[in-house]
Amino acid sequence: MSWLVVARKDFEDSIRSRWLIGLTAFFVFVISAAAYILRPQEGAEISTNFLLETAGNFVVGTLVPLIALVVAYNAVIGERESGSLKLLLSLPHSRADVVFGKVAGRSAALSTAIIVGFVLPAIILAVGPFTLDIGAYLGYTLLVALLASVYVAIAVGWSAAAPSQRIALGGAIGLYFLFVPFWESISFRVQLAIQELPEWVPLSSETVGTALFLGNPSSAYSWLTSAVFAGEFITGEAARLQLSAVLLLLFWLLAAPLAGLLLFERRDL
Amino acid sequence: MSAIQLSSVTKRFGDVVAVRELDLTVESGEIYGFLGPNGAGKSTTINMLLDFVRPTDGTVEVLGESVETAGAGLRERIGVLPEGFDVYSRLSGRKHIEFAIESKAVDDDDPDEILDRVGLTEAADRNAGGYSKGMRQRLALGMALVGEPELLILDEPSSGLDPNGAKEMRDIVEAEANRGATVFFSSHVLGQVEAVCDRVGILNDGELVTEDSIEGLRAASDSEATLILTVDDATDDDLDGVRALDGVSGAAVDGTTVTVACESDAKTEVISTLSGAGIEIQDIETESTSLEELFLSYTDAETVDETQNDTAGSTQPETADMEAGQ
Repeated sequence: MSWLVVARKDFEDSIRSRWLIGLTAFFVFVISAAAYILRPQEGAEISTNFLLETAGNFVVGTLVPLIALVVAYNAVIGERESGSLKLLLSLPHSRADVVFGKVAGRSAALSTAIIVGFVLPAIILAVGPFTLDIGAYLGYTLLVALLASVYVAIAVGWSAAAPSQRIALGGAIGLYFLFVPFWESISFRVQLAIQELPEWVPLSSETVGTALFLGNPSSAYSWLTSAVFAGEFITGEAARLQLSAVLLLLFWLLAAPLAGLLLFERRDL
Repeated sequence: MSAIQLSSVTKRFGDVVAVRELDLTVESGEIYGFLGPNGAGKSTTINMLLDFVRPTDGTVEVLGESVETAGAGLRERIGVLPEGFDVYSRLSGRKHIEFAIESKAVDDDDPDEILDRVGLTEAADRNAGGYSKGMRQRLALGMALVGEPELLILDEPSSGLDPNGAKEMRDIVEAEANRGATVFFSSHVLGQVEAVCDRVGILNDGELVTEDSIEGLRAASDSEATLILTVDDATDDDLDGVRALDGVSGAAVDGTTVTVACESDAKTEVISTLSGAGIEIQDIETESTSLEELFLSYTDAETVDETQNDTAGSTQPETADMEAGQ
């Protein structure tokens, strides 16, 4: 399990850097600030679900992908340019071990920041005027960690494929704009264009629309979170579609690093 | 079984040929010094041994396995000190060694023992980011020693080390060889390999220009001499007769000075051939060749050598030292 050794080292390295502590503090701050702004009138009580849905979806949905891309875009190319990759590959690790180890290590580090950063304020919220829906709160936190991991995987894949640090950074920014602000309008245009599919295409335009919607990790994530808050996660009418959304997120988690690895395998260091 | 076998290996980077049709064999158990000026293709060759860089042509075998197909498992049997590496600045020296132990899955290695061997005991718990070049070099050597590898591949191991450190490095190389390991290491300074190597290969401009034991090289340098003759007048064409003689490896003329590199016992014939060509010799000086000069004659443009036009622009040893120190 060579990739696990790489993952553990990467995790340890991340823990020793300041970004992890900084991000944990940032998440605690986001939840606390949202709680303060949305605090209920005296005597009233608000569910934490409302808090997360209102504040969380806007802040988390836009910022977590960006944070994940920033944290991971340099994972492979940075080591390649500094030369520490040579030290790593002098040991019995394959390039696949490096790429997947990095995905696992960075995801674990970022997920730790998210889980600690979300759960710590929850304990305080529960004591205050919020009713804590523990299941939904934890479910939501785990989905945020999954979203972060998917974007880490995309960034690491890109980092392995990119020929230089500068291109890796530019590409990461491009990927962010593609997936977060622009995807909806792009997929809308695609749907308009294919409204009338010729008969021989075995897909309806609705199917293509759904695929485009769920194919974006951010929209798959936000759709799943609404199911979590509604208490219908993988149980309600849309259970099968939700399962597809989860599978698509897992697909990204593996396919993005794999695609990067294919290019990385052919590179001279 | 050979520890390393390169068969007609060529590596091109775009239009630049870094290594050309290289055949090289390192036998099991020997200490092989891979010499050459900076830019000769030593690191490219070593990077191909480690699958960091893939050859354009030819085959590379390490410990009997093709590097291309062997996968990462092969590196469990190899210790590597790469060139141009960096450490993980936030991890301590000890963490680096522990990481190597974990990676090679050799739980019985003691990190403290290895740190002691490479002289890093006191700095073991400091972050490697604060290490000097020499300490980083020691750390990477320590990582290479983990797991008693069958083969050690060390790229410029002495760079960044003071003379004392270089001596310790040589002691470790010898100790590893006595344990039964094969050691393959590169250097641009002959003095570093002379004392420990069983055999040396000299690489210049991507080609192996000579391969011999240190004794063989020394014998060659003892029998080599440089004749410096002051003459009335000579052209380059006048020297053709001299170049055709047995035992003459090169001849050049600069104004009234003729320089001839030849075997010691060919001297009289050189002089009589020049006289026979109608050249009046006014003064004769002889210099014997040192081992270092012999090394330079294979790699340097300034020496009297028929191949001087091909090797023009190769690095002077002084600048090579400076580059290595960066």
